[in-house]
Amino acid sequence: MAYLLPSLPYPTSFANTVYILFFYCIIDCMFVYSMCNSVCVVAQVRPLHGSGCGQQQEAVGMETRPETVSIFRTQENDPACQSEQHLGQYYTVPASHFHTVFPHGLPPRYQQQVKTFNEGCVMVRQPALELISHLKRADYINPTLRYLLYGVKGSGKTMSLCHAVHYCSTQGWLVLHIPDAHLWVKNCKELLPSSYHASRFDQPIQASNWLRNFRTTNEHFLSKIKLRQRYVWTKRESTEEGRPLGELVDMGVSRVKSSSDVVGAVLKELRLQAGGTEGGFRLAVAVDGVNGLWGRTTLKKEDKSPVAPEELTLVHNLRKMINNDWCGGAVIATLSQTGSLYAPSSAYLPQELLGEEGFDSMDPFIPVPVSLYSEKEFESCYLYYLDHIHFHHWLQHPHSQTEEGKKELIFLSNRNPSVLERLCAFL
Amino acid sequence: MIRVLLVRWSRYNPYYLEPEPRKEVYHIPETELTPEQKEERELKSVRPIKAATNSVTSSVFNDPVLSKFVNMMMKDGDKIIAKGIITQTLENMKRKQVEKYHKAPEVKKAEIECNPYVIFHQALENCKPVIGLASIQKGGKFYQVPIPLTDNRRRFLAMKWMITECRDNKHRRTLMYEKLSQELLAAFSKEGNVVKRKHELHKMAESNRAYAHYRWW
Repeated sequence: MAYLLPSLPYPTSFANTVYILFFYCIIDCMFVYSMCNSVCVVAQVRPLHGSGCGQQQEAVGMETRPETVSIFRTQENDPACQSEQHLGQYYTVPASHFHTVFPHGLPPRYQQQVKTFNEGCVMVRQPALELISHLKRADYINPTLRYLLYGVKGSGKTMSLCHAVHYCSTQGWLVLHIPDAHLWVKNCKELLPSSYHASRFDQPIQASNWLRNFRTTNEHFLSKIKLRQRYVWTKRESTEEGRPLGELVDMGVSRVKSSSDVVGAVLKELRLQAGGTEGGFRLAVAVDGVNGLWGRTTLKKEDKSPVAPEELTLVHNLRKMINNDWCGGAVIATLSQTGSLYAPSSAYLPQELLGEEGFDSMDPFIPVPVSLYSEKEFESCYLYYLDHIHFHHWLQHPHSQTEEGKKELIFLSNRNPSVLERLCAFL
Repeated sequence: MIRVLLVRWSRYNPYYLEPEPRKEVYHIPETELTPEQKEERELKSVRPIKAATNSVTSSVFNDPVLSKFVNMMMKDGDKIIAKGIITQTLENMKRKQVEKYHKAPEVKKAEIECNPYVIFHQALENCKPVIGLASIQKGGKFYQVPIPLTDNRRRFLAMKWMITECRDNKHRRTLMYEKLSQELLAAFSKEGNVVKRKHELHKMAESNRAYAHYRWW
């Protein structure tokens, strides 16, 4: 049968009888895990990026591991190799990656949960998988595609965004993750008038915090990317052409006064260099709460008149980033009502939250709706909280482990992920 | 403006019967009813029934002791805030215990209790005084006489001490749920100020043993 085998990028062993199917059908692997001692036919999902995920699947399919196999967890920790068969299952973000990929950006309750459980598990859900499949198939020569995640409060938009960000960072993209755009338009203690442009305002604290986190996420890119322009900060300080980006970022972190302008410079450089043929990298811009960039702010100038978002340097530069006039990357955005200003609490659709101006700037975009948990996902979440093996189970109340308690949880939470999490926290 | 008609605390005609919130009672099939239960059902179908209060639920997670504690914490009738503080307390206790569980060696893991409800009930038990003091007048002077306490009084004293301790004797800037969780965990392991107060009451009663015969009931 050797002449029928395609040239695969990884070695296959002939000792195991593995039949490689030429049509890439995805069989329901829920049953493969339970019947794996008898099944020899494994659908080899052709890996697009040549990573080792095919070998992983082969290994899992052949051995029986009854004690570690569970319905709600999957061993597939690489977002690139996850597919519909893993829907509803939890995968663990490896502990080594955790602090570099997500220094900021995770919801605060989830961060508490990670600290308590000593592991970061994310559920594989439909919106995230859709987003990742779009990212895999898009061609990066055309102008950037913009994806917008929307849904009711607590349905898992930020977590889907973080899943996509994890995918991008495992694929070696440069990730620009803004944890919450609303933090830049409210509660700012220091508003300095900008040195670069007379009518704009700088936010030194927010900008330097963001630069610090950006440095943690993208360490390996900072030395590779060279600046294409000379930047003058004050009479005595300037950054020359050809210096590495790392130097610019370090300067922004140490010189807090000019950090907003440094952010602008960084964004401009990345935009110019993203789609380049020599040493080109892909750029993922992930913005949470993108509806904060248009609309109103709660900040006031010294004469008590309100500040419009355009008058903030950070917001101005970020808007230029979200425009689709550059290529070689993707913009993934989330709407958020929770931190938003002057928006009613029942609003969740893009039209309502973005407003006229925002919708016109974001248009055209690919909308990705995020819904509440389906029955299978709820089941999986419930079993995760009841897990004995990996940690002492989270649901401690004896009645919550019965059928009656489960029905009551469904009723009280309406399968809303965040409400369910808050309920299970004290039960 | 919507006005809520408070029917419960108005004086009901004694003809009205109490409501039955538990679900199990209604699931017993016709054949398994005892004669008394059948009689009771027939009576209920004829007589009017009082309106149920907002605090009784048919939920499996309903806990009467916890509801009483919530009512005692409540100020100005704001049950939402009081219930919120209690749920945050339970969550905080659970998190602390689970983190302790993860850090403990294998041998000690079985001893660590992670269920916040068990901790709450046990802590309250540890705070309940066995004997109390009453002020009795004899011959112009008032004496502190040791007396037995009813169950309700003991539970009330334990909860009252817990709440006053957390409100008064802690650092001003810590939030109530943090103070409560620290105090409850201490009471669970029989340390802390509330258990100390209980011991002091017992010592006072012991020292006033001589006046015990002043009690006439």
